Amino acid sequence: MKDFMMIFIGADYQELGLSPEQLQERMGKWFAWNDKMEGQGILKGGNALVPVVKHVSGPNRTITDGSLVEGKELVGGYYIVSAENADAVVEIAQDYPDYDLGGTVEIREVMVFDK
Amino acid sequence: MENKIVDHLFRHQYGKMVAILVRFFGFSNIETIEDAVQDTFVKATLQWRNEIPKNPEAWLVKVAKNRTIDLLRSIKAEKNRFNKISSGASAIVINELFLDHEIEDSQLRMIFVACHPSLKPKEQIAFALKTISGFSLKEISAALLTKEETIQKRLSRAKKTIIKKDIQFDYPPAVDIEKRLDRVMEVLYLTFNEGFHSTNKTKLIREDLCGEAIRLVKLLLKKEKFRNGKLYALFALMCFHSSRLSSKINNKNEIVTINEQDRSKWYFPLIKIGNDAMNKTMEYDDISCYHYEAAIAVEHLKAKTFEKTNWNKILRWYNKLYELQPAVFTYLNIAIVNLQLNKLEVVKEMLDTIVVSDLEQRAYLYYGCYADYFFKRKEIKKAISYLDKAIQNTSNNLEKEYLKKRKLQLEII
Repeated sequence: MKDFMMIFIGADYQELGLSPEQLQERMGKWFAWNDKMEGQGILKGGNALVPVVKHVSGPNRTITDGSLVEGKELVGGYYIVSAENADAVVEIAQDYPDYDLGGTVEIREVMVFDK
Repeated sequence: MENKIVDHLFRHQYGKMVAILVRFFGFSNIETIEDAVQDTFVKATLQWRNEIPKNPEAWLVKVAKNRTIDLLRSIKAEKNRFNKISSGASAIVINELFLDHEIEDSQLRMIFVACHPSLKPKEQIAFALKTISGFSLKEISAALLTKEETIQKRLSRAKKTIIKKDIQFDYPPAVDIEKRLDRVMEVLYLTFNEGFHSTNKTKLIREDLCGEAIRLVKLLLKKEKFRNGKLYALFALMCFHSSRLSSKINNKNEIVTINEQDRSKWYFPLIKIGNDAMNKTMEYDDISCYHYEAAIAVEHLKAKTFEKTNWNKILRWYNKLYELQPAVFTYLNIAIVNLQLNKLEVVKEMLDTIVVSDLEQRAYLYYGCYADYFFKRKEIKKAISYLDKAIQNTSNNLEKEYLKKRKLQLEII
């Protein structure tokens, strides 16, 4: 088994102006997904990220505010799951709740360094 | 981990929190407050993914309160007034506002403000749905079948008026209370009807509108000073109608008329609650349209089959209703009841005195009634041509489909 990171991009709830009822509905879907993965014992961790971004870049360590980042490019959070291979994670990612809001799941294998 | 949050918790919590925070910070800050409450829910959806707090309501309240204070602090003009809010006496006051009975009180005040006579009727409904029931712009526009921009305009006009006229976040003075309560009931009645009669594609929207109206009537009934026969009758009426809400539309999202509904599926517990409320009305002397409408609904519910409907009794209630409030729509209903009683000449006579344009968007019902009239007279061609008129006069897709289906049936004859 290997570790994979599912990175959630886009579908910023704040920007989309969802109603309280819709937000609760979304949350229920996240819960269900979370529970499912926990039940299978594959969930190893994860976090949601606050949509405030600061970029430090270039030799001069130039600081820019993330207000320049568009909501649809914003990373909203990630989960780490253990799975056989990337295809299996694609299967897991079917339950990500926010495809209909333009969200994307990026799947990346966590690199393991030789000892 | 038990990942279950009470249904509609966010929606109901939205109204509660906005009401309390407005009571504390004043109406002039309503937009900041709405933003803060909205932010709180977004935060919850992210934060609760890993762990739901033990007391979700308390969590929401705490976060919303702090967020409001943060937002207000960042507004310079407000700085002096609010920067010490989280400590000291003001903190005690704001915490007290979050006690259960105070929450109810704040929500009731908000209902009365929403129905203030300075607001136009359409603004009142939009404002109530937003501020008390936490509907989004999109949801309101879908619920009222109105453009989002129009709703947006109504909302901002309502807020502007409240601030400009410095309408107090309070109950109206004693002399005005009866009149205002009447308007409150009317707004809730209209909200309910939007849900019940609307053939909105989304089942949820229909049920949510009805559910909200019932919830708020119940809230009013909790306070003794608001109780009267009219309010109990309105509550009964809503219960009776709601008992058959889910039978009105089938799985294929088609209209099922009352003569075809599966009566065993009507929800009995609600009928019982409605009956109890009707009994309560006896303790008061007042009589209202809601009384008669509830009585009519009861007659429909009592009939074991459509054929066993007591149309004579229904006719009597409709006549009483018309006496009290001579509305053209009631008049049309009387004609429809006469059609059921096969008093065809009366029907024709009545229909011919109606000015169709008075019926506004319900004109299609008039043509539908005419179609049924000709059907009963076995003049199928004429019936079909009136069905065509009915189809032309409804913008509602579900109604349209129903009428077209009916037309097909007639064409086979």
